[in-house]
Amino acid sequence: MKLLEYEAKKVFSTFGIPIPASILITSATEASGACQKIGGSVVLKAQVDVGGRGKAGGILMATADDADAVATELFQKEIKGLPVKEVLVEERLPIQKEYFVSIAIDRSTRSPVILFAEAGGVEIEETAGERPDAVRSAHVSPLFPEVPGFILRYLTRGCEKEIIPVISALYRVFREKDALLAEINPLVVTPAGVLAADAKLIIDDNALARQGITANRDLTEREAEAEAHGFSYVELDGSIGVIGNGAGLTMSTLDLIAHHNGAAANFLDVGGGADSDRVMHAVRLVASDPAVKVIVVNLLGGITRCDEVARGIIAAGVSQQVIVRLAGTNEAEGRALLEGAGYRMLDTMEDAVVAAVLEASS
Amino acid sequence: MIYCDKHTRILVQGATGNQGAFHIDLMNQYARSVGGAGVVAGVTPGKGGQDVHGVPVYDTVREAQAAHDTEASVIFVPAGAAADSIMEAADAGIETIVAITEHIPVHDVMRAVAYARSCGSAVIGPNCPGLLSPGECRLGIMPSPLFQRGPVGVISRSGTLTYEVVDELTRAGIGQSTVVGIGGDPVIGETFVDCIERFSEDSLTKAVILIGEVGGALEIEGAEAALSLDLPLVAYIAGISAPKEKRMGHAGAIIEGGEGDAASKIQRLEAMGITVAARPSELPSKIRELL
Repeated sequence: MKLLEYEAKKVFSTFGIPIPASILITSATEASGACQKIGGSVVLKAQVDVGGRGKAGGILMATADDADAVATELFQKEIKGLPVKEVLVEERLPIQKEYFVSIAIDRSTRSPVILFAEAGGVEIEETAGERPDAVRSAHVSPLFPEVPGFILRYLTRGCEKEIIPVISALYRVFREKDALLAEINPLVVTPAGVLAADAKLIIDDNALARQGITANRDLTEREAEAEAHGFSYVELDGSIGVIGNGAGLTMSTLDLIAHHNGAAANFLDVGGGADSDRVMHAVRLVASDPAVKVIVVNLLGGITRCDEVARGIIAAGVSQQVIVRLAGTNEAEGRALLEGAGYRMLDTMEDAVVAAVLEASS
Repeated sequence: MIYCDKHTRILVQGATGNQGAFHIDLMNQYARSVGGAGVVAGVTPGKGGQDVHGVPVYDTVREAQAAHDTEASVIFVPAGAAADSIMEAADAGIETIVAITEHIPVHDVMRAVAYARSCGSAVIGPNCPGLLSPGECRLGIMPSPLFQRGPVGVISRSGTLTYEVVDELTRAGIGQSTVVGIGGDPVIGETFVDCIERFSEDSLTKAVILIGEVGGALEIEGAEAALSLDLPLVAYIAGISAPKEKRMGHAGAIIEGGEGDAASKIQRLEAMGITVAARPSELPSKIRELL
């Protein structure tokens, strides 16, 4: 789950990373008051989860005189389709220099990797092209509790010494908060010292419970309902509802739909050993999307019982046509039940997908 | 075959839970049918002294090792404790550790895999169905009736999609040497590269099918290894229609920062001269051309 900038900064601050003075507001009328408290000119930053927020007009400059007016303008905006509900009013920093520091997971080495650049903001890629030595990376063994000194010295050679404790602290955030990504871009140098001018923090969904996070905000309403049932569900733009067991098989079913010039409405993986109740909930959930014209169910498995699946499909009783491909234990019973209730059961996933694409286009 | 054979003595961690007990029974049915050693011991903390389908259960892996000297472990322990179980198995000197468990926090996986590798153990998974060498050994939860012994190695990040492919291979009369499910998480122990290195040294395996999906670049690294080792390879990549920045069921199946999408993986594989099947149903005919 992605945290918003102000949430990430709050976390960074508790780990000792200096952050700019700031106040979070939820209405434009609070802006001038916040501005006066901070003193001097400020930056108003929309708290929305999108990349390229500044270019999309989500970051505006203001002073105590025009703060309310600028905030009103910002609260009325949509940034890449998202409404602005919260704005961070932050002191405007006298920036002398910018750096970039990011900690992520390298799948190939199975370890955290720290990326450091002697340039921040949006110019990193340019810098990497022009001055390759200004962009440095280092892997950290997951067995080390913190970043060893030699790695910190390698990454920050020739730079301000104040950067070292910031990278050290960011690594502690990364580990202790179960992060997939912890990033400061830019890390700025001011006469008063170094500060995290922006903050990114993504928490591992598999660790939300132990991090005390109860709801994953990244999900849509239907996705959250699916999660409550233990399904993996992703909404898409087409009209063919898809239910499969196993992520790979379900993805492959979507691909086959695209291959036959159809468009899937969703990805739903019911997981292993689904019983009739789970299948019923899955079918109803997919059918509740008004865009869905037809549903294709593709289940294969050793422990998934086809008669259970058939009962679930029949119990769901949805208005859309359900086309089924089932293989596994009790296949004949499942087929008899479905055909008795007037459902179509096909032998291969290809046949089922072709039938669904035809139905969706009719 | 790779990682295990008939003689492999198996330990099950999380032996007394529903999944553990169910699969001890299935693994041992399979072992009996092929004359293999099968599961000889189980571990569940606090349940030492019990037995599951006739298999003795111990409180710790060390106690089980002292009595049975197992070579492989299959882990069904819940996500919160599974990483610790991986390290316990590695610490006791078990060579092959199969972690079936899904939803282990990735930081725990990184630590456990790093420790296991430092002990010289190979971790398969987590979030995987394990492996099966037809006629030799079932080390995990794969449905054995679909399999048939033969010259094709299969390596996959997926579970059911692998069964689909194995089913098609068997129907086409093409048998398998070992089928390995390496897992759907962003960080896994044995990767395509590790499996391909082992397959290249296996006398039974003549060609390999690689089943990948969106996220990361492990498929490319695997294909590079196969090319350098002269091991014939056919690939299939799931997720050509997957949207960006959305997790497609597997924790590791996500296109992040515009990287790891199926189209660019397929393009890179084809540029290397690797045959890529557009659909799973094309795999049997494509692999037959390489045999």
